[in-house]
Amino acid sequence: MSKETLKAKAKLVIVDDVDTDQIFHQSLLTIHDPNEIKPHIFGNLEGYKSFGKEDNVGKILLVGKNFGKGSTRQQAVTGFLAHGIKAIIGESFGPIYYSNAVNSGLLLVEAPGISEFKVKDDDNLEIDIIQSVIINQDNGESIKCAKIPQPVLDIIEAGGLLKLGEIM
Amino acid sequence: MTSFTLIEKIIRNRADVSDSEIYPNNIVWVNLDLVTARDYAGPQVIDLFQKNYTGSKTFNNEKIIFTPDCYPYGNDPKHAKDQEKIRVFAKKHDIKLTDLGSGIGSHLLFRRGFSKSGDIVIGADSHYNILGALGILGQGAGDVMLAFAMKTGKSWIKIPETVKVILKGDYNWPTTAKDLALYVLKELHDFGITGKAVEFYGKIIDKLTIEERVTLCSLITEASGVIGFVPDDKITADYYSKIGIEIEILSADEDAKYVTELVLDIQDLGQYIACPPHPHNVKKIEEVIGTPINSIVIGSCTNGSSADIHDAAKILEGHKINPNVRFGIVPATREDFVSINLNGDMAIILESGGNFFGAGCSTCAKGQYGLTGGETAVTLTTGNRNTQGKIGPADVYLASPVVAAATAIEGKIAVPKEVVKR
Repeated sequence: MSKETLKAKAKLVIVDDVDTDQIFHQSLLTIHDPNEIKPHIFGNLEGYKSFGKEDNVGKILLVGKNFGKGSTRQQAVTGFLAHGIKAIIGESFGPIYYSNAVNSGLLLVEAPGISEFKVKDDDNLEIDIIQSVIINQDNGESIKCAKIPQPVLDIIEAGGLLKLGEIM
Repeated sequence: MTSFTLIEKIIRNRADVSDSEIYPNNIVWVNLDLVTARDYAGPQVIDLFQKNYTGSKTFNNEKIIFTPDCYPYGNDPKHAKDQEKIRVFAKKHDIKLTDLGSGIGSHLLFRRGFSKSGDIVIGADSHYNILGALGILGQGAGDVMLAFAMKTGKSWIKIPETVKVILKGDYNWPTTAKDLALYVLKELHDFGITGKAVEFYGKIIDKLTIEERVTLCSLITEASGVIGFVPDDKITADYYSKIGIEIEILSADEDAKYVTELVLDIQDLGQYIACPPHPHNVKKIEEVIGTPINSIVIGSCTNGSSADIHDAAKILEGHKINPNVRFGIVPATREDFVSINLNGDMAIILESGGNFFGAGCSTCAKGQYGLTGGETAVTLTTGNRNTQGKIGPADVYLASPVVAAATAIEGKIAVPKEVVKR
């Protein structure tokens, strides 16, 4: 990730209140290998059950309100990293999910109004981290996002929280 | 002088920063009083710790506890191996372990005095924020945060804004703390408390026992909130005193800044139930009375205490469980199991046709499919999650132990027909 901008194609999963049990079901919790987690992502989310088998490498996921609410399970983050998802932009995130993602080096961007943003699958998006703005390069539309806190960027730049632990 | 809300005050006391750094949305590092993990996530935390910090000691073995509570019977060889991994690591690092059958970790923390008001604790449990009922900043955390915390004794937190919630009025049986919690969940979810903390006030608080306060705080997670606090009072101090801990009462500053103040009218509050497909889909119970139910579970960190089981036993006394219903009880802790044995509740429930299962989590964390199960069985639990497809393929409702017991007799969603006293 460049420090200033992130460019990637969009993948829309605009659903509110997606619980971790809809991202990675509790019956699978003894699975920890990222490649084994990968095919199960959204396995319990109506309308998106085929996501696990799709190729969304290098994309930015767009989600609704309270994404990732529910349990503390790390697999609900690991699975998106296994899919090669670059970042997730959402209306809002469950607080535990937010920290789990940052700790694993997955950038989450809060953008109230993103559900109404004019964007479709595979549009080319740009996240301008310095200006806190998201731009759809295909139609020129833009939307403000919350400023990404510096400590969050530091953790992601370090390659995740565990790396910081080596020197603390 | 700067004024602080409860969560700001707790964070300030555990962060190596000046007062000026304590404000909403700022991220600060905090020194943890306790780090825990259980058989869900615990084995992965251990793997991450050993892989990333090979040969390292933990930051402080006396500030870590393993609390396996999710898979009481180690349902398959994989679970058994995971649980063994925890025992081996705990022994190697001289870490305390509350093994299977002890009960839900979050409850053991306040029952056995492992943490106290003002502490910051993290564990692999999204309902660790029930500890806000006792002035403890409990937070659920993922594998990475926990492995890092076991090495460093630290975690980071984005200081949340706080919503002041004033509960105005009073209610009477058969309305219970669970109905209050469900009503509050509905209101707070509608209002939007994502990433925010809550402080509860109102005369009703003076009447709520510790168990009822835990129930009230237990559904904040389902509204995507960070934590709900019941500020320390005499009830809190007396509770801690009984388990040998003297606390310093912690209060928010009078002119603390709240993001908003919500007054919720709970005068003569009725009974509520969370309907499929989400916990926040809360309705007045009248809307679903008569819905056939096949499996009922009393348990969880929300409503699995001996007081909750007692609520059910009073209704079940002298009655039989409907033959179309399987009725399971999972006490929250060993202490609760002992209580219901001593007071006769266990015998009453067994005679009515209910079944007891080992103390620990019930259907929420990992699911105990034998209790809910099948393809069509409609379930009612006293737990905290009913997300579609989570604990059974069919519909799941969440209600109080009182409703659970009345429903167990009728075989359909019901409220008690006779008045019974606690």
